[in-house]
Amino acid sequence: MANRRINGRQLEKMLKNGLRNLVNHKEEVNKLNVFPVADGDTGTNMALTLRHGLGSAPSRTEAGAYLKPVSEGMLMGARGNSGVILSQLFRGMYTELARCGWIGPGELRNALIRAYKTAYAAVVHPVEGTILTVAREGIEHIRTQIDRNSTIEAILSMYIAEMRKSLVFTPELLPVLKEAGVIDSGAYGYILIFEGMLDQLYGKEHTVHDKDGEKEEREEAPAPAADASLFNENSTFEEGYCTEFVLQLMRGEDYDQRFTLRSFIDDLTVYGTSLVAVQDGTRVKVHIHTKKPSKVIALAQEFGEFISFKLENMQLQHNEVLAAGAAPKKPLSIIAAVNGDGIDGTFRELGCDQTVVCGETMNASSEDFVRALSAVHAENVVILPNDKNVIMAAEQAVRISGAENVTVLPSRSPAEGYYALAMDIPDSDDVPRRIKLMKDGMQSTATLTESVAVRDYDSGGVKCLSGEEIVLLNGVPAAASTDWCDCMITALGRVPGIEDAESCVVFRGEGVSEEKEAILLQRMAEAYPMLEATAIYGGQSVYRFIIGISE
Amino acid sequence: MKEFIIMADGTCDLDAATAEKYGIKIIPGHLVFPEQGDIPSFSEWGVIGRDEFYADLKKRPDEYATSPANVEEFAAAMEPYAEQGDEILVMTISSGISGAFNFASRAAEQVLKKYPEAKIEAVDTLRFGPGFGLMAIYASQLRQQGKTLSEVKEWLEANKNRFHQAGWLDDLSFVAKKGRLTHAKAFFGTLAGVKPIGEFDYNGLTTVLGKAKGAKKAYSLLLNYIAETIEDPENQLIVIAQTNRLPQAEEYKRMIEEKFHPKAVVIRDVFPLCGVNIGPGLMAAYYVGKPISADLSEERAIVEKYAE
Repeated sequence: MANRRINGRQLEKMLKNGLRNLVNHKEEVNKLNVFPVADGDTGTNMALTLRHGLGSAPSRTEAGAYLKPVSEGMLMGARGNSGVILSQLFRGMYTELARCGWIGPGELRNALIRAYKTAYAAVVHPVEGTILTVAREGIEHIRTQIDRNSTIEAILSMYIAEMRKSLVFTPELLPVLKEAGVIDSGAYGYILIFEGMLDQLYGKEHTVHDKDGEKEEREEAPAPAADASLFNENSTFEEGYCTEFVLQLMRGEDYDQRFTLRSFIDDLTVYGTSLVAVQDGTRVKVHIHTKKPSKVIALAQEFGEFISFKLENMQLQHNEVLAAGAAPKKPLSIIAAVNGDGIDGTFRELGCDQTVVCGETMNASSEDFVRALSAVHAENVVILPNDKNVIMAAEQAVRISGAENVTVLPSRSPAEGYYALAMDIPDSDDVPRRIKLMKDGMQSTATLTESVAVRDYDSGGVKCLSGEEIVLLNGVPAAASTDWCDCMITALGRVPGIEDAESCVVFRGEGVSEEKEAILLQRMAEAYPMLEATAIYGGQSVYRFIIGISE
Repeated sequence: MKEFIIMADGTCDLDAATAEKYGIKIIPGHLVFPEQGDIPSFSEWGVIGRDEFYADLKKRPDEYATSPANVEEFAAAMEPYAEQGDEILVMTISSGISGAFNFASRAAEQVLKKYPEAKIEAVDTLRFGPGFGLMAIYASQLRQQGKTLSEVKEWLEANKNRFHQAGWLDDLSFVAKKGRLTHAKAFFGTLAGVKPIGEFDYNGLTTVLGKAKGAKKAYSLLLNYIAETIEDPENQLIVIAQTNRLPQAEEYKRMIEEKFHPKAVVIRDVFPLCGVNIGPGLMAAYYVGKPISADLSEERAIVEKYAE
């Protein structure tokens, strides 16, 4: 039976089905990478972003009330450029539907229009041939065909069909796609979500076939140990414990079999604040701030046992904040996204106060940056995203946090970030000058990245087969060869001003031997004797070597 | 009239021949070397050579340490001269980075208690290494011109702030570890070819004024900096100190000679008493010029002007 309107609970099921559909096609989306390098992560990032939103939202009957935490969660959890744009699309939908209990044809149409408009507005330089185009054309081409008798299924079918047409056309709008012979990955991911949503209405529920979908949420960096001296026998205890656990609901007569999330939440509410409880099958994830964790534990154990349990004294954290507040603010703090333990260490040594440790594909979320922003204690902050796909998440974090005097220096590689820090003068109190020096350091840097091609490639004079060595110069293929070192030297020759350059940093990747590094440095010294190359263990994934040449 | 005695602690990096030539008595400090324990400081390479020392220091910096002569040792150095009625000028490394001035002052008090007729003056040079050595040479030359102890001390106090350092320190990890940079928490990450340009601040600490990418740009910036700050270069002895950057120092020397035609330019090594705390990356010229501004704002402005 076709639906003329849907409520919050239906929307929740649809979105969850959309997420599962996306997760099942994640790798396909990841592979739609313009360059044949294994750093594609659009599918992963979009899935992480949507999951973060859905995971933060309890079931609600009113559509608007359900979407609010979904939208907020997505803004916070946004990863990568595609994730940021997806979160903006949903923010637009929520803005339109905020007061709607039910979503009918008119509301849906307006929400889809508001979605793309919001996303366009959030992007500084909107590029056509991307998710933006597809989301826009999808609704603009059908909006006049929607009337009050349209069913939700019909609207979504048309929307998807138009978006599919638009998707095929993306390579015509965006030359890089055409050259690479791919369609836009973000747009494809967006369509997959809506296809899953529509499938739900037709009763086709997707199941996630790879277990990976559940565990891809990368582990949070362990919080730095709290300074225990800030809580003692004379302390007041007002803040309670931050309590987080995953509860496995159990069978058997020892356990109450009448568990419902609703009544569990009602009971927990008595014991604390900031309560979030989400049920996934027979597991329940709970977050609560409470002064009496024993009560919470006792209540939970009526229904099952703990898979994991975390308890933190929030008074201690609170006192730390107070103690930090007493200390004078630094004139300037620096936050950087890093991949690799060596790069992390190097950035910290060069004066970075907070690093956002990223997984394999540099997928730092806005939330990671929001957390880092709240952890620094400074008058001014500079953020170095160190990847072109992290810049938007950082910028979004600044907007979300409302933090002032934050500058996102759009470093596109760790090498650019490195030279920003290397040229900084922490001795100086002149913050604008420091920021300018960092910016100059970043902008005068060329980045070479070396890895193995994951598919055949032939464009812009660079040709290689899958499995051969490929080097990108500032993100664009510059050389390919069967020999990694030849490839590197050839690419080095393509760096503008290389003959006069003297300063060069080489980050050695995870699992790359020091012998290889020595060979590379030797070859570089032979080819460019003026270049003073310094090798640093980076430990980054994907790229065996990242080279920065700064003029 | 009998000439007064000039003493300088071992961080002035004057080799025996130079110290002899200018009549400067060196009070050695202490070194802790791996496998050798506590040994007196030296200012001539012997058992261990320059390259060997700095290479090993880079490898295991934590196994090396230094300390200045203590109060008793300063007093022991002064006492025989005080006893025979000589006046003494004792010059020490910057109080910003070492306790030597404090020790020397207390030693002087101690000796004066015993020999109330004696005359001992201590001067905190606010400099280290060959920059301090250069100041000791100036003191010796003034003495030779017939200036009294008081007059020389007065001159030093009035002019020590005119002793500039124009050079780079391309490996900040050593100064950072030992707290010898102005910035509270110095940053000591590896700087790939980036040369921090350092000058002394008012308190005798080295401050990074700016940075240059690569040696070529650094030389050009430094020569401009010298041109803006030096006075009367033709009549000066310019000292270039280098820890383990001899080829660069030689290049720098050639450029300075060509541009400023000074009376002489000499390259001096930095020996372990300072070197342990500086590391292998120092290459700097020391000369006399305009007084250094209290907050280094003028010097920063010069660097900014020439740093493109």
